[in-house]
Amino acid sequence: MSLFLQRTFDSLANGSAYAALAVAISMVFRSTGVLNLAQGQLAMFSTYIALVFATGPSPYMKFSSNTDLVGAAWPVWGAILGAIVISMVIGAFTERVIIRPISADPVAAVGATLGLYLLLGAFVRKQWGGRTMFLGSPFPQTVDDRWDIGGARLWHDSVGITLTMIAVLGLLAVLQRRTKVGLAFRAVTSNRTGSTLVGIRVSRILMLGWALAAGIGALAGGLIAGEINVRPDMMGRLLVFGLAAATLGGLRSPALAFVGGYLFAFLETMLGGYVSFVDSQVTLVWALLVLIIVLFVRPSGLMPRTEAWQKR
Amino acid sequence: MMLDGSKTSPVKRAGWFALALAIVGISLWVAFTAEPKIVTDLTNATALTLAFAGLVVLTHYLGLLSLGQGALVGVGAYAALHVVNDLGAPVLWMPLAGLLAGTLIGAIVAIPSLRLPKAYLALLTLSMAVAYPIILRQVDGNLPVTLDGAFVAPAWTGIPENDEHIWEFFLVAAYASITIFLVQGLLRGPIGRAFIASRDEPEAARAFGIPVYRLRLYGVALSGGMAGLAGGLMMVPTNFNDYTHFPEELSIKMFALAMAFGGSRLISAIPGAIILIFLPVWLLDRNWVVEYGWVGLVKSEGFIYAALLLLTAYLTKGRGFMSLFERRGPKTQTAPANKRVTSVVGAMAELETQLTHVEGLVADHPDIRSRQDSND
Repeated sequence: MSLFLQRTFDSLANGSAYAALAVAISMVFRSTGVLNLAQGQLAMFSTYIALVFATGPSPYMKFSSNTDLVGAAWPVWGAILGAIVISMVIGAFTERVIIRPISADPVAAVGATLGLYLLLGAFVRKQWGGRTMFLGSPFPQTVDDRWDIGGARLWHDSVGITLTMIAVLGLLAVLQRRTKVGLAFRAVTSNRTGSTLVGIRVSRILMLGWALAAGIGALAGGLIAGEINVRPDMMGRLLVFGLAAATLGGLRSPALAFVGGYLFAFLETMLGGYVSFVDSQVTLVWALLVLIIVLFVRPSGLMPRTEAWQKR
Repeated sequence: MMLDGSKTSPVKRAGWFALALAIVGISLWVAFTAEPKIVTDLTNATALTLAFAGLVVLTHYLGLLSLGQGALVGVGAYAALHVVNDLGAPVLWMPLAGLLAGTLIGAIVAIPSLRLPKAYLALLTLSMAVAYPIILRQVDGNLPVTLDGAFVAPAWTGIPENDEHIWEFFLVAAYASITIFLVQGLLRGPIGRAFIASRDEPEAARAFGIPVYRLRLYGVALSGGMAGLAGGLMMVPTNFNDYTHFPEELSIKMFALAMAFGGSRLISAIPGAIILIFLPVWLLDRNWVVEYGWVGLVKSEGFIYAALLLLTAYLTKGRGFMSLFERRGPKTQTAPANKRVTSVVGAMAELETQLTHVEGLVADHPDIRSRQDSND
């Protein structure tokens, strides 16, 4: 039982990252109908920005101007917040400059997001190389920073990451349900033409959607960097799980995508822990198999079937 | 696009014939005069042309997105090697094994995802591209698997034994040419037109009795089969495979090139295959990234593919650069030459005139309408 509990606890931090990426992907797809395949790379890029803020003057930051811009090293929380702000600007810029002119053509839009994917990867490899870097966690991460519950260890940083993600996504839900901006966002996702007719500035709302998605991705990247370190390919695996989790939410429900993120992390940890021939790398494959089976059996994912079919 | 079933003019036909002759001539010249390394690269490019052609079928005929074509090539390569090594099949069966494996995996991915919006196919194929190297590493281990066999040119070819790369090139080129010819024939017929209909107007296509889901499934399976065949053929000159051969970047690059250079003809797959194989060789020779620092970034592979994707998206709305040279708008309508069609059209026009006349009579005599209503 304690082993099961330990594995459940272990899945929390990864689950938060998958859930955040899944929510970001769902938000963009729901509002614009574009599958943003660059979501993971945007998160990776923002993690490097956080690294620049957190490191301050450093020999491996090749931009000489960085030292003037950043000054002394920022605390990790400040660095992540700085990266979130910059990522939101990049997200809004991406929607305005790259996606909007071609949003009527889904193939072109997906191609553009893939172009962004490659561009960010090439830029990061050029600027920082392919080596692993360390950002550190914004939460305490020493061996003593844990609670022992039922013979299992619950680490403070896992709880911190999970609670932060739940809080941020809760705030997002409040923003959507209790504010005028949220109402406008829901209106745009429901009926874009109707929203335009009633005077909602659709383009601004879409830009906001992309900015929020980029911000959530940046938060996920910054928080998980303390667990998996910073590399140009750090988000590849996370993106696949994020996409799979978003699928469980029918690509349109951020709430179900959030649940899907934790479900996939749980599944990943349990398969890796209890099935002898599944090592940590191959859990990805089994998770994908589960996804295919789910799509076979229940194409709408966790979403109620009628709602999913209405939104096709 | 040549999708209206009209016949090719003699001038165009002669042009295509000249192009085909030129390709054959250049291939012969390169095969017999170039260094073995270049011939092997060209053989790989020829095999990959099939995978690109499959991608062209998906993107340009069916309007679907596949980001896992590289993984399907890998599946074909895996099947081709293991059918010889483990089952003891003759080496000439390798392409067939690749074809079957690619078709099967393509269909398995397509069956659930095609029931949903198009984004799901992109999502599942991208996931497949990421998962393929991980699975292969688990199944085959870290070391390359080498082919237990060799391709020896038959005596009648006159190709010396140590020049097997020439024989391999001709073998792969023959497979590729025949496949492209057959698939292009398929696409020029009713199936190709049904593909286009299901891409442009799926609802109208359904109304006309076209089984859109099944058709797309066949399309994805065909595309997967072509990718698998390419993988099987790539094992002819390469003779070994490992988990680093077909990474997810390969699938994304293939998608970028198919999107940029693909068109309504399968021959548009050739530039993509040539660029994919020879661009890294060209970049490696120059080592620009190291020599020129930030200027070199512009000449790095990732940047080139990113720029290609963004330019294709902006300049051609995702339809590819070939579309800029294709005919825009419908052809000028001319009277049908077929006498039977002419007579049917004339009879329909006459019928329409009579109906208008009858409607006018009914409007002038309301009692006719009321009698009709009471009869109903």
